[in-house]
Amino acid sequence: MEVTGRILIVDDEEIVLDSCSEILRAAGYAVATASDGAQGLRQVEEFRPDLVYLDLKMPGMSGMEVLERIRAADPSVVTIVVTGYATLASAVEAMQRGAYDFVPKPFTPEELRLITRRGLERRRLVQETMALRREQEMLREHFAAIIAHEVKSPLAAVQQSLYLLAAELREALTEAQRERLARLQARLADLLQMVDTWLRAISVDLRGIRERFRPTAVADLVARAVEAVQPFARRKDLQIGTALPEGLPPVVGDEVTLVQALVNLLHNAVKYSYPGGSITVAARVEGEQVHIGVSDQGVGIPPDELPHIFGAFYRGRAGMAGEVGAGLGLAVTRKIVEAHGGVITAESTPGKGSTFTVALPVAGQAGQVAVGLDRPAASLEGAA
Amino acid sequence: MKEKARLLIIDDDPEFVDAIRGVLEGAGYEVEAAYNPRSGFETLKRRPPDLLLLDILMGRGAEGVMLARKMRKDPQLSRIPTLIITGIREQIAFLFPGQAVHPHILPVDELMEKPVDPELLLDRVRALLQAAAARREAG
Repeated sequence: MEVTGRILIVDDEEIVLDSCSEILRAAGYAVATASDGAQGLRQVEEFRPDLVYLDLKMPGMSGMEVLERIRAADPSVVTIVVTGYATLASAVEAMQRGAYDFVPKPFTPEELRLITRRGLERRRLVQETMALRREQEMLREHFAAIIAHEVKSPLAAVQQSLYLLAAELREALTEAQRERLARLQARLADLLQMVDTWLRAISVDLRGIRERFRPTAVADLVARAVEAVQPFARRKDLQIGTALPEGLPPVVGDEVTLVQALVNLLHNAVKYSYPGGSITVAARVEGEQVHIGVSDQGVGIPPDELPHIFGAFYRGRAGMAGEVGAGLGLAVTRKIVEAHGGVITAESTPGKGSTFTVALPVAGQAGQVAVGLDRPAASLEGAA
Repeated sequence: MKEKARLLIIDDDPEFVDAIRGVLEGAGYEVEAAYNPRSGFETLKRRPPDLLLLDILMGRGAEGVMLARKMRKDPQLSRIPTLIITGIREQIAFLFPGQAVHPHILPVDELMEKPVDPELLLDRVRALLQAAAARREAG
């Protein structure tokens, strides 16, 4: 006979255990029993029941406490309290604490079968709801990436067609037409690059990153990050200056990912700067750490928002040109920095600007944290 | 006069395929296209090309990866050089939990990101074809 559900009975009376087991096994269920609360909790771990019949009145651990602990261990397990003195009060209290139903002793086999069926149906619904919620969370988490891909595909196809057109029409176009075509392609390229930067920012994979840790010169990190953001800064007439003292010790990390973190900070600085302003990247040694600060003179962050900016899906107001992000940039940046055993902090004065500081351990220091390794992390290398 | 190399493109974006095809035919290659993994695999079996250009994201997920894996298990197809051309970089692998979308997991020869620069594309195609020819020479 096919097993249609797993049922655990927790009761100190042997006769109850025996008779209930018999009825439920005959109905095709897999049954386990426990004669006190502690044993019952062990069985919840080992037997993985769908449904638990729980006697409220047992010596030792009280039924209420067992109930609470089952709820804590796995809220999707359906618990039905069995009470010998069907006082409404204790049954109601158990329901308030998360029991699904109660059954007063004595009960008939038919009642037991009926309540079991109903309880298992409930369990199925709860599990489905949980799966659905997980799916929704996943969708929300990847929403930005999915959208980015949906945007990127057609843009790439259009750009690909323009490449071909440009080649086919090389001889036929006037100088002015050639320039127009070149401008179109340049704008598309910018757009693609923006989507790309955004995609890379939200899809950074930190698994296995530790395998690629090498001593890395801070000056190189800063130079590469500044270079990546330079085109966006120029468009807003922003100067990016650097202040890097001689003889900075190297930090340990994955260069590509660390550059990505700095690029994220610089992009934010560009986004929230007033046109014509300046952005500074400064580094200094602080004890066993190198502090890298990215400062802007832009709109700043209100004090009440400052504690939340590193959370996922925090979104500041739109940038100067109305740009909005996925609200993931800073969350990802923090993840990258922490994967390197570092800390990121922010200070800001509304209307005056913000400074984001990344503190990374100097090479050779302990304190770099491992992150889960289960496959090679993807490269974040930009395409040309 | 050597006969010209035959290329197969498997990609579900017709516009992209046309643009790539134009560049490749302009360079003198014979080009065939399939717009989904299933007909792509049939074409591969029917007339194995000298080089495959393969898209990763087709249909409901990373079906290009599945196709590449299937190819590597098929003795007739396992040695066809493959150029993966994808609209996403591989770190989007997490979009498809349980489906590794990673060049290291795929014994593919090359990977390029859309849109591809025509000159660069022709370079890669040439290099892959030459490498495959050299492997054949070496037996």
